[in-house]
Amino acid sequence: MSHHTLPHQLVPGHEPVDSKAIDASIRLPVMILFGNAIHWLVIACLLSLVVSIKLIAPGFLGGISFLTYGRLAPMARDLMLYGWASQAALGAGVWLMARLCGRPLGGGDGQGMGGMLLRTLIISATVLWNLAVLLGTLAILAGYSTGVEWLEYPNWASAMLLLSFLLIGIWTVLLFDRRSNPRAEVAQWYLVAAFCWFPWVYGTANLLLIWKPVQASAQGPIQSWYCGSILALWLLPVALAGIYSLLPRLLGCTLNRRNLATLGFWMLLLLGGWNGMERLIGGPVPAWMTSAGVVAGVLFMIPVAIVMINIFGMSRNAENLATQSIPSKFLFMGAYSVLGVGILGALVSLPDISASLRFTGVTEGKTQLWILGAISLPLFGVMYEAVPQLLGRDCWNATLSARHYILTIVGLWMLVGIMVLGGLFTGLALSDPTVSFLNITSYSYPFHLMECAAQLILLAATVIFGANITRALAADYLLNKKHR
Amino acid sequence: MHRLPTLLSGIFLVFLISWLGLVAYPVTQLGRLTPVPDPETGGTLPAVYGGQALAGQRIYATEGCISCHSQQVRQTSVTSSDIERGWGTRPSVARDYLRDSTAFLGSRRLGQDLSNVGVRLPNAKWHYIHLYHPSAVCPGSLMPAFSDLFIVRKIQGQRSDEALDLKGSDAPKPGYEVVPTAEAKNLVAYLLALRHDYPLPEAPVKKAGAAQAK
Ligand code: HEC
Repeated sequence: MSHHTLPHQLVPGHEPVDSKAIDASIRLPVMILFGNAIHWLVIACLLSLVVSIKLIAPGFLGGISFLTYGRLAPMARDLMLYGWASQAALGAGVWLMARLCGRPLGGGDGQGMGGMLLRTLIISATVLWNLAVLLGTLAILAGYSTGVEWLEYPNWASAMLLLSFLLIGIWTVLLFDRRSNPRAEVAQWYLVAAFCWFPWVYGTANLLLIWKPVQASAQGPIQSWYCGSILALWLLPVALAGIYSLLPRLLGCTLNRRNLATLGFWMLLLLGGWNGMERLIGGPVPAWMTSAGVVAGVLFMIPVAIVMINIFGMSRNAENLATQSIPSKFLFMGAYSVLGVGILGALVSLPDISASLRFTGVTEGKTQLWILGAISLPLFGVMYEAVPQLLGRDCWNATLSARHYILTIVGLWMLVGIMVLGGLFTGLALSDPTVSFLNITSYSYPFHLMECAAQLILLAATVIFGANITRALAADYLLNKKHR
Repeated sequence: MHRLPTLLSGIFLVFLISWLGLVAYPVTQLGRLTPVPDPETGGTLPAVYGGQALAGQRIYATEGCISCHSQQVRQTSVTSSDIERGWGTRPSVARDYLRDSTAFLGSRRLGQDLSNVGVRLPNAKWHYIHLYHPSAVCPGSLMPAFSDLFIVRKIQGQRSDEALDLKGSDAPKPGYEVVPTAEAKNLVAYLLALRHDYPLPEAPVKKAGAAQAK
């Protein structure tokens, strides 16, 4: 396995560098990003489990009084977003970009002085990223949260994250112009776009909400725009780049309907930011904004449909082919989750549905399907494919990989299903003013209970994944030691 | 679109559209809203927060109350249930948030909407007991106890006026009392200041009681 070289048409003077040399040039930074992303994922899942237990037993861990729901929930969410997803996307993005462009990071064969310096810079940036995540998380715990949803890290921590991203992102974007394939793949476009958007979106939102806050009457739309954009314009494009570039190669098919894929790219760009406004339907913002959000939420089905058409257009039995390896299984399930967020997103954008479901578990379930499904599943797929190539050998334990896959899928669908179902019940009850609020709380108890079970399954899945990669890295370390 | 500058310009232009609409427009329009005069008191609407309430707003942020509570009464064109539940007399509008440092709009309602909690629950003592142990006043509440915001201390001479009237298993040992810290007092001052029941030009209040009063 693991020798799907990425073929290119050659441009004179731009012959692709051997993929081994490319991997060697980015092995360390990418492995640091992947390894840390996975350990934050385990911690985030653990915290999410505690958070969900607190909803069935508010007194749980009550002795440690600062471990309240209001601190743990944002800690878990931000770890998912920045510790896990964004960091995994950085690693996946750097690896995919370098391989697709046929270029090592830093000039020449990647082994020169420039390459060395650049590598040191990028490795420092990855350390900075993790330091920012760690300190930001501790700051929330210690009571320094900003109270802005998804942007709870204090100003210095968010500044560190942004700086770190820029240090890694610039080189990744620049690779595009030095690529060896004259006709860029859609995946390469997605990567360029994603790496440009994160600094813009994260920088704008932090500037206007945290660093130098605008008058609060203007904050609502900016915050919703941020929540929509960070998912749809930064994380999703990287996940799609993984699907578009790896899936055809893994299945041995070619991606047809390139023009359609291009259309999907531009549609996603156009709709991504507006998509978040659905979070404010009926809220204190001009009506045209939320109307635009409704339209964007429904039209979002188009880029989603294009992804599905592209994938099933590769081969009639793409789905069967995909069951043959772990990376392609994850990528395939990721594509299905993209379909899921498209449908769920379009439904909850409809004002009548939003009216009863907006503040319920349905919103939370949709966010989970975005982060753990549409984004994380493809990222898992990329990791399963990338790590053996980076380490130069088949390093995964097949049993652990298979268990990770099954438990992730079961946990994810169970979690999302329960949250949506529970949200439906509470939503209907909430829109009936004769049902008292405390009554609604008691309705939701069984759902919260099953949520805990789902979180437990997801935690088990990620611990298995963590064990799998730890095993691989430990074996790698021992192997290197022997060679020396 | 095969050269980086061309691709980047395309990306930039398309993305600019949502940035202009959802970032630049709010900053230049909603961000410039001003208070309106209050004919009844001669002050302005929305009213300025007192120093304590302003400090309490920080506690609201750092304790993550926003994870469970929203602060927005929705437009009646979308749903009337917010108003029917007694969470406000009129829908919230952008101007209502003028005095806040952060707009705590919220996205989940595990607890009630708090835009008008100061109107609904004007008693500070109730809030202290509720924050200290929510189930004491709302059996089965999912809200966490914020006992960190209180101190249990030995009664020195007279029992303090501020001491919480706790009953049953919540009550401290004899000779001890539970009093709110400065943080708790600020937080409750903020909660009591959460009242958006005044009329604004863009959000008139239909006086429900007016007919009866006559
Ligand atoms: C785990 C979610 C959760 C968190 C976090 C939370 N609450 Fe609550 N809150 C609830 C629930 C559930 C209720 C309804 C039951 C009750 O009154 O205890 C409630 C009720 C309230 C009420 C009474 C509202 C009414 O109309 O009866 C107030 C006031 C309140 N919370 C304030 C706060 C403050 C202030 C914070 C932050 C320090 C906070 N809550 C954090 C869940 C939460």
